[in-house]
Amino acid sequence: MGKEKILIVDDSEMNRSILADILGENYYIIEAEDGNEAVELLEKMHKEIDLVLLDIVMPNMDGFGVLNAMNEKHWIDSSPVIMVTAEREASQVERAYELGVTDFIIRPFDSYIVRHRVVNTLLLYAKQKRLMATVREQLEEKEKFSSTMIDILSHIVETRNGESGLHVLHVRAITDFLLRRLRLLTDDYPLTDELITLISNASALHDIGKMAIDESILNKPGRFTDEEYEIMKTHTTIGAKMLEGESLRPDDPLVAAAYEICRWHHERYDGRGYPDGLKGDEIPISAQVVALADVYDALTSIRVYKASYSHETAIEMILDGKCGTFNPLLLDCLRGSADDLKKKLEGNVAEDMDRQEIRSVTEAALSGKAGSVSERTLNLLDYERRQTEIEAESANKDNDN
Amino acid sequence: MTLKECYTAMGSDYEDVFGRLRSERLVQKFVLKFLDDECFSTLCSSLETGAQEEAFRAAHTIKGMCQNLSFTKLAASSSNITEALRAGDMAAAKDMLDSVRGDYELTAEAIRAFKAGQNL
Repeated sequence: MGKEKILIVDDSEMNRSILADILGENYYIIEAEDGNEAVELLEKMHKEIDLVLLDIVMPNMDGFGVLNAMNEKHWIDSSPVIMVTAEREASQVERAYELGVTDFIIRPFDSYIVRHRVVNTLLLYAKQKRLMATVREQLEEKEKFSSTMIDILSHIVETRNGESGLHVLHVRAITDFLLRRLRLLTDDYPLTDELITLISNASALHDIGKMAIDESILNKPGRFTDEEYEIMKTHTTIGAKMLEGESLRPDDPLVAAAYEICRWHHERYDGRGYPDGLKGDEIPISAQVVALADVYDALTSIRVYKASYSHETAIEMILDGKCGTFNPLLLDCLRGSADDLKKKLEGNVAEDMDRQEIRSVTEAALSGKAGSVSERTLNLLDYERRQTEIEAESANKDNDN
Repeated sequence: MTLKECYTAMGSDYEDVFGRLRSERLVQKFVLKFLDDECFSTLCSSLETGAQEEAFRAAHTIKGMCQNLSFTKLAASSSNITEALRAGDMAAAKDMLDSVRGDYELTAEAIRAFKAGQNL
């Protein structure tokens, strides 16, 4: 593993020498005789320097100068500093601690104290570094796991609903993209990185309610009757209900986001959506964005009854209000980032490749379930088409509420 | 002359330094090194040229060394002159220089005698 590296900064050769001697053979000692030299060395080697013993009074740049540099460049986060000084004035000590100094060694040196302070500080930091690395690893694993679980579930939903494999991925990618752009445009919505990732992941669940829709409706060839359409609409409230299961905590952020999205991704900004007729920003931003992503993807995908609209046409249709009403801010966002969105989706295919494994797992699990995919697809597409047409019609259609 | 006797000769405290550094080898090494250190001449010359910052640092360094090695007498006088210089009082500092020089000579003499006695 190698010896720990200690940087000793003091303009007095004797001081450096005594410290080095006290610390002995167990460490690799690097010396600097003023602040400038110390900063130069840190610039090159800060990742390898495990501890800095720092004098205050030095020519050219003093100890505080070094501390300032270490704070600015965040070297102090990984290299602890023990200040070496004869100064006992309160203001110096306070100032040094404020700049992140871990501890003090007072001159004249006591070899016992020097050795133990150094050892203890190194141990403390080593432990912290290990803990941080462990936590980071665990967080990454946890996220990967969550992501995988959601992917599996969403593929189950797709397979039963006969949707294209890319739909869920696209909606997630578009949601993520739009949320990030929206954040640049406005402070109205509190969108942290974590929240955006959460919403994007949760978007994969937006149609889970369809799992409970009777297969006779899902599989029905031809158009829906009004009654059947009404039943189809219930996938929003059913999906929301699924998220109220006993073992699910409503305050869990993922559950909360998924609930919002499931229930309200068919609401309209003008209040004429379903199931609850929410209006404007009564609709959570998560649901607003997923709704838009969903519509965009429907327009730009190939369906059995229609070719895909081009990206440009889809954008135009949405902006012209032909596919439902949306938050004007969101539309601005879309307008301003349409080209980048196009590029992003063109590049998205690669992601699909690693999902193959997941898909085969879920397809295997669901194999043998009734209905051929193409019939179901027809049905669903009809439903989607109907959706789109209805959104495009003017006030005549009577919705709930 | 033992190291302890050397210390006595220069009015310094061997027990103190040994209590802290806990190694005769270590103490001896740096006592001998003290002779080669140039800070004292730097102090003298910068006081002459009026280079206050430089003089302050030189005095401060000498003080530090003396504290480390428990050179009690020299530590005291160099400490005084350090404070004068820290406050920017060149005049007072110049007045103190003789006292410092006296202590310095005493210290250096004792070390030289020790060194000769050890055939080093």
